[in-house]
Amino acid sequence: MMSTISNDKQFRDALNGLNAQQQRLVGALFVENVLGLSNDPRVAQSLVVAKGTDLAEDVVNLARRSIKAACLEAHTRCGADGEWTDQAGYFVARAAEACLEPEGRSQGKGAAWKAAMSARMARTCLAADSDEDAHDTESQAQYQILTSYLDA
Amino acid sequence: MSAPSVEKGIQAIKGQIDAPVASFFSACVHCGLCAEACLFYTETGDPKYTPINKVEPMRRIWEREYTLFGKAKAALGLSKEVDADTFAEWETLVYDGCTLCGRCSLVCPVGNDISGMIRKIREGFAAAGYAPEGLIGASTRAVEIGSPMGVKLPAVQAQIKHLQKNTGLDVPIDAKGAEYLVLLSSMEIMNFPEYLEAIARIMHQAGKSWTIASKAFEATNSGIQIGVSDIAKLLVSRVVDAADELGVKTVISPECGHAFTAIRWDGANLIGRPYGFEVKHILEVLDEFVKKGLIKTEGMEDAKLTYHDPCQIARKGGVVEQPRNLLNRIASNFVEMEDAGEMNWCCGGGGGVSANERADELKLTAFNRKKAQLEALGVDTLVTACANCRLTLEEGLEENNMDIPIVGLTEMLAEYLVEDDKEQA
Repeated sequence: MMSTISNDKQFRDALNGLNAQQQRLVGALFVENVLGLSNDPRVAQSLVVAKGTDLAEDVVNLARRSIKAACLEAHTRCGADGEWTDQAGYFVARAAEACLEPEGRSQGKGAAWKAAMSARMARTCLAADSDEDAHDTESQAQYQILTSYLDA
Repeated sequence: MSAPSVEKGIQAIKGQIDAPVASFFSACVHCGLCAEACLFYTETGDPKYTPINKVEPMRRIWEREYTLFGKAKAALGLSKEVDADTFAEWETLVYDGCTLCGRCSLVCPVGNDISGMIRKIREGFAAAGYAPEGLIGASTRAVEIGSPMGVKLPAVQAQIKHLQKNTGLDVPIDAKGAEYLVLLSSMEIMNFPEYLEAIARIMHQAGKSWTIASKAFEATNSGIQIGVSDIAKLLVSRVVDAADELGVKTVISPECGHAFTAIRWDGANLIGRPYGFEVKHILEVLDEFVKKGLIKTEGMEDAKLTYHDPCQIARKGGVVEQPRNLLNRIASNFVEMEDAGEMNWCCGGGGGVSANERADELKLTAFNRKKAQLEALGVDTLVTACANCRLTLEEGLEENNMDIPIVGLTEMLAEYLVEDDKEQA
């Protein structure tokens, strides 16, 4: 049984020990924890693919294109009046996009780590307009998710 | 500002006609080279997008008011007046069909700064009330809130807290006596927070003191884009006041094209006095750090990649060599686009075009030039150094079903820094 993860060093080390398929799966679990911050159905659809195994390449490519489009549509355009609650949805989409990123495109960060950071950023968006500090809450939740996955 | 009117617009244009503008109109030889240099003309084939035609209302006013021939024509009722219909007809040419990229100015055989004149004529269009809603909103928020996208200090603080907890790195705010004042664009704050993380990592490794100013974290300048010098001056003044108050030596303009033009080239003229500090683009600073051995990289990106020069940084800003120095350090298969560097083609979204929803279709048409450049190379990755270029390029690629990831150069360099044990991440 894996000891409990309690900081980002342990968290990242554990993620680095996962293969690409496991990274996608764990990344998807991180995204599910912030899924309520997005109202785009393409995000949840992409997670189904990210968690799947032995999927046909065209299925993965289709999901990849779909979530990429969702991500692009969710960003705040230059000069537009930004809404942080909407922007949380953008980061949720980015987290989901990371889960389906082709191998070799994650700039050495790993899909799960990128998904985790974007998921935290989605929570951070909620703190932009208030005193709420959900960063630690999300980090702890991710530690727990990863610990549970490794223990399973 | 008082309510806009056509008369105010005409007066504003008259106010912009100085000796250089007069000589530009006198010197134009109608050769058409500016048309071939403008992607709005080359990609639409519509002669109305010929750059010199975009300043036709200004030419009419110049001729009518300041030339003997023009005065005679006016007296005989032979000249065309500039009126509400003129403003309405030219508004989309001046704002939607020009990114102020400056390629027309560079090719003009008699040295006319056509792009500079389009920037000037926007003063008249804004004063007349003929400016895009998106730019009016952005300018209003920039004045009232301090950010064209409405980003307030608590949002920046929340992001800094997020970054500090994830990396263990310090992001100083209002640190007096710091060497560098780092500016951010709202686009980076909202859409690309990895830029600030990259800065924190690079500054940490370089061992440099730096700070963000709570009173002036925003680099962008909507006043430049819409063409209202009073707003542009106010926004520059905020940065200058903050830099003076903190006593920094250098202000760093972020990966944002027009922000660099505003603070580096237009700023001192807008406020009417020299700065007490230097202004550098982030790529200039990074190149200096590498050359001085302050930051070290390891490993190379082996994907075939190219670099999109943001117009305001390369063509207007002269930052051409630095990004190439940096890329050659961390990429083993870096290839150049045709017409790279100072002659690069614009992404199609600069100069306020991407803030103008009305221009979306035209912007995507203009993107066809970049599409052709990228198809000719067949690259795996596209690198750039402007958040606005980045999103415009992403939209263009998406529209054309081209799957090419886009990376910010600062962020990419940070990924190749030699690992530092002090960082948690």
